[in-house]
Amino acid sequence: MTERSDTRGRVSVLPMPKSIALVWLNIGLSLVVAAIGLGVGFAQEVSAQRVILFTILTATVLFLLLNYIVAAFEANAAARAEETEDEQEERSGRTRKLWRNNRVLIIAMAGLLVLYLLLTAAIPEFRSIKNLIGFLVLELILLFAFKVSGQFASGRSAFIGLIVLFALIVISAFSIEGFLSGPNIKAILLFAAFLGIASVGQTMVALLGGLDLSIPFVIGSSNIALLFLITLGVPSFVAFGFILVLGGIVGLFNGIMSYRLQGQALIVTLGSGFALAGFTQIMTSIGSQFAGNVFGTVPKWLSNLAAMNGKFIGMNFPPTIAIWIIIAIVMIIGLRTTAWGRNLYALGGNRRSASLIGVSEFKYWVGCYTISGVFAALTGSLLLGWSGGAFIGVGDPYLFTTLAAVVIGGTSLLGGNGGYGFTVIGVLVLQVLTSFLQGIGLQYEWQQFIFGLLILPMVALYGRSPHIRATV
Amino acid sequence: MATRASSANAYLLVPIVLMAALLGTAVIRGPSLITESGIGSAVIVAAPVILATYALMVLAVAGRGTVDLAVGPLLAFINVVIVKLSTAEILSSPIATFIVAIGLGMLYQLLFALIVIWVRVQPIIVALSGFLALTGINLVILPRPGGVAPEFMMSWGAGTTIFSPVLVILVVATLSWYLFTASTFYTNLKMMGYDERAAWTSGVRTDVVRIGAHLIAGVYVGLGAICYTALISSGDPTQGQSMTLTAITALVLGGVALSGGRGGVTGALLGAVSLWLIGYVLATFNFGAIQAFMTQMVYGIILVLSLLLTLLVPVIARYVSFISPWSAFLVLGVIVLSIMMQVGTFDTYAEVAPVAVEAATSERYFLIEPARVAADGFRISPVQAFALIAGLGAIAIVLAARLVDAESGARKMGPFLYLFVAAMLIALFVAIIVQPDSSLFGVPK
Repeated sequence: MTERSDTRGRVSVLPMPKSIALVWLNIGLSLVVAAIGLGVGFAQEVSAQRVILFTILTATVLFLLLNYIVAAFEANAAARAEETEDEQEERSGRTRKLWRNNRVLIIAMAGLLVLYLLLTAAIPEFRSIKNLIGFLVLELILLFAFKVSGQFASGRSAFIGLIVLFALIVISAFSIEGFLSGPNIKAILLFAAFLGIASVGQTMVALLGGLDLSIPFVIGSSNIALLFLITLGVPSFVAFGFILVLGGIVGLFNGIMSYRLQGQALIVTLGSGFALAGFTQIMTSIGSQFAGNVFGTVPKWLSNLAAMNGKFIGMNFPPTIAIWIIIAIVMIIGLRTTAWGRNLYALGGNRRSASLIGVSEFKYWVGCYTISGVFAALTGSLLLGWSGGAFIGVGDPYLFTTLAAVVIGGTSLLGGNGGYGFTVIGVLVLQVLTSFLQGIGLQYEWQQFIFGLLILPMVALYGRSPHIRATV
Repeated sequence: MATRASSANAYLLVPIVLMAALLGTAVIRGPSLITESGIGSAVIVAAPVILATYALMVLAVAGRGTVDLAVGPLLAFINVVIVKLSTAEILSSPIATFIVAIGLGMLYQLLFALIVIWVRVQPIIVALSGFLALTGINLVILPRPGGVAPEFMMSWGAGTTIFSPVLVILVVATLSWYLFTASTFYTNLKMMGYDERAAWTSGVRTDVVRIGAHLIAGVYVGLGAICYTALISSGDPTQGQSMTLTAITALVLGGVALSGGRGGVTGALLGAVSLWLIGYVLATFNFGAIQAFMTQMVYGIILVLSLLLTLLVPVIARYVSFISPWSAFLVLGVIVLSIMMQVGTFDTYAEVAPVAVEAATSERYFLIEPARVAADGFRISPVQAFALIAGLGAIAIVLAARLVDAESGARKMGPFLYLFVAAMLIALFVAIIVQPDSSLFGVPK
């Protein structure tokens, strides 16, 4: 046969297994695979010459590869046979260590591979080059996340977040037409800006080890209260400022209450949020037939601020994005460099030490909640400009997405770790993912499902608490 | 006595007082509660929330700040799966339904526990993740409310009788918790919730205990889902979020510590029932279009207020040590039960005209004729009547106070008090169920 003589000619440069049985086994395997290829080729009605050519090539290449592998294994086995017992033990220890260090990575990658193969086998539409690229990118992310990010001690979560963000953009750009077009990017950034502004407070509160679940209710309430005030005839700027102040007052109340009730922040903020949403709706629906709905016209400047066709100093994007960028820069620099920001981290890291060096726990705690209230009210007002109509439920999606953005970004809910920069990454990941999922035609409920499943592995990569035996 | 009422029980004071006040108001505002169908439908409507609160309570006791936000979506998930299977006529037998419901609940909670133990992320993050994932998948399984519940459940949700299967589920769930508290496992669970490190160092296998707590919670969620399915007789994927929020509110109202180590079925039950009563009382006021907002606001305010009250509990417990939560329960229970009996039987019976006793009758029974002020009976003036009742009342109060003070040091009620409460309850049931066609208390109108 041609291929055998072919390979025999190159014995000198290519490794050959010493055992003749193995050589025959390899030949057999190669021939079987080549025969399958031959059959499939004829079944697909490819021209005969090409089928024969491919069959020969397949058999040859496969045989060479198998030989290479077998020879390598043989050499290893020979070396091992010469080793002393001690060396063998050391080697097995090393293998075990390698396995122990990488088992999560290996299991995750294998799991992903199995999933991909299963999907490919089950769904015919799934077999496309785009999905293959997507799969390879995911495996690469895993590899990066586990192996490379370990080198970055402090910014590990940010690094992972950025890789995920980058990979998402690559996959989306491949699979969705017009993903990188101007309007789509503008839309992503606009929604990211809303979520980002709403998450400012959540980030700061999380840095102290608290939670603020009143954000969605403050957003909804400020949304309808602002339009209500405007329809009452209050000058829109005054109303806008007034709403921000009201948001701050709600935050102040939350802060004081949750400081007194340590560890119950979740319930306190939930309760005050309920009360606020109910109260606002009662106030706005007194004397109105349409309880809970406020009708009116949104002032021009407000809708320009947040609507998709808004203009910012002549440039063609809504000013909300610029506002968010400014807030983000101020927050990131402020938290890093000012004494206020450093004290915040100190308090989150270790309360006792921080209060011993004279940092007032109460002031910072209440301050963070107040800021959270103000920014939630700001988001609600901006959302009024975006939608043009008031609706109490406008804040509902923000109940857990602000938390998700903070957590995915890498700010620990236990306090002391993270920052607004991380949250920005988390917000962008969430928004790009949303856009991607919408682009491939998934409904809202599937998006939510995937968000839920995404949070766990992201947090598991960097937010694990020590085993109890390490804390005793 | 060295140890008076245990501090854990002192936290029950707030829910007990709250519930008594609410129940009194509810009965006076809406007397229809004190009818067979009133109580029956109350049980059915409140059962899912109560069971969801039990599930949250078990997890809260397990510590690490576990508040399973996903309890509502999980309940809705089981509900939706049951309805989907039953609509496809795969699931019809009661046993299979129970197995599916409880199995799904336990499976999810097992997963939750394993993630918390091995991946070691904070439980709140797992809960958040589960919340989002389950809320999404619910809408995938059943895009809008609809479908049919299994055939055998159809009659459960009618709420015309008190003794519906839902009540049986509720009672069994509650009693089995009390049985469970007698086990060492429960002691370990409480210890782990209170201080996990201490529990671990003293040899408690915290992993096993945590998994066990989650499995119990899973059973409760499964039962809750069955009650919920019976209540609405169909599937509803959208109620998960509000169910979670209601159950958490009930948990806090019931004085369960979210920081772990403190809590029980009593508090959770009181909290959930109080919450339902708040809704009931509010519904008796007619707020018109703003009814829903009013309810929302009052929920919020009561949530915050009851949290503030738990701050005061240690202070109260220091000064009010002469009364234990059990005694408070007893005293308030008697008051509320008498209000209920008064309202339940009000205007039901005709006044029985006094029967003049013939002189001849008394002569037949008494050797010596009794002294008589007047021919037609023993006459007393209104002032005398008041003095008599006041005197009897004073004696009763002194006796009750004496009893209460004696019981306040105990962790559990004495048998006499159990008997007393049981007698009161039986009287209430008799008044409610038997009254329309009985002449026990007189001639019905």
